[in-house]
Amino acid sequence: MSDVKALWQNQTVEEKEMITLSDIRDRAHKFQSRIRWRNVALYVYSAFNIAASFWLILSGRLVAYRYPMLLMIGAHLFVLWQVNRRIGARPLPEELAARTALDHHRSELERQRNALSNAWLWYIAPFMPALIWELAIRAITPNPNIPAFNNRIIVFYLVSGAIFFWTAVWLAFSRAALKLQLQLEQLKRVAAE
Amino acid sequence: MDTKQGRQNELYLQAAAEFGPALVRLAGVYESDHDKQRDLLQDIHFALWRSFAGFSGQCSLRTWVYRVAHNASISSRIRRRRATMLTLDEIADMPALNDVENEAGELRALERLRTLIRRLKPPDDQVMLLYLEDADAGTIGEITGLSPRAVATRIHRLKALLAKQFHDRANA
Repeated sequence: MSDVKALWQNQTVEEKEMITLSDIRDRAHKFQSRIRWRNVALYVYSAFNIAASFWLILSGRLVAYRYPMLLMIGAHLFVLWQVNRRIGARPLPEELAARTALDHHRSELERQRNALSNAWLWYIAPFMPALIWELAIRAITPNPNIPAFNNRIIVFYLVSGAIFFWTAVWLAFSRAALKLQLQLEQLKRVAAE
Repeated sequence: MDTKQGRQNELYLQAAAEFGPALVRLAGVYESDHDKQRDLLQDIHFALWRSFAGFSGQCSLRTWVYRVAHNASISSRIRRRRATMLTLDEIADMPALNDVENEAGELRALERLRTLIRRLKPPDDQVMLLYLEDADAGTIGEITGLSPRAVATRIHRLKALLAKQFHDRANA
């Protein structure tokens, strides 16, 4: 058996594979700039949404929808903040060193599972008030140029489409959360040995 | 540069000199693609360097380095969601690898060993890696969080697995 160990330990590690302090500084720089760019992207996306929505509201287009549109802007910003907080977060270096591999693995899986299983609350629910409001406006104020029956059909398709889309999103999140739960159960069994 | 950062750099350089090759071997198991290996290795070193800001001799340098390295690799693997890993029972039922002496040398044998570890589920892969790095059962328990009994059982089964997969070399 020591022969397999020797084979493993004596494998050639090329000089270029080694990391220097200057590589670490480069990495730290990249790490900081990645966070900076992510924040910039977040701000640009938010600014674009807000500007476009305000332009639509102020120019008198889609007057009836101005309040739900404002609500939708708020929902977008809230969800972006939550995605950043819940999914993108990385463990702190002191956590990496203080936890055993089992604890660390479990807490990483739990963090992701919680984020996914509560997705209906932080990813789906924020869009619902604005969406329902917009659909209600569409149903209450039908387009006068289209026959009433066709208007009802359009509303029916819009509502069905929204239900189908958001159910699919919810199912995708739930499936991913369930897979993580199964991995967690396996780790719990290992920890109990 | 203040004294604190000087100490952090000093500890990092000591760890990198002592455990650098082991970290390359670890990254080689967690990632098969060379560029991703390099990326993971930089992630591990970066996490290690940052972690030394909080190191005050709570445990041995070896335990600290392996904990950070394994945990950083776990986080990276979860982010990439790699699948198709097997338990020790499932992998033991796989047909034995061909006699490594008949293969195209040590490189091939090493690649087979890496593949074998990659296919193991955590924490079996971590125990295998630490066992190959000559860590004793106590250290493996400290790093992985497994009980001494669980570590002993796993090492026993891993030895049997290695003997089966690399029988000629193991019996040499």
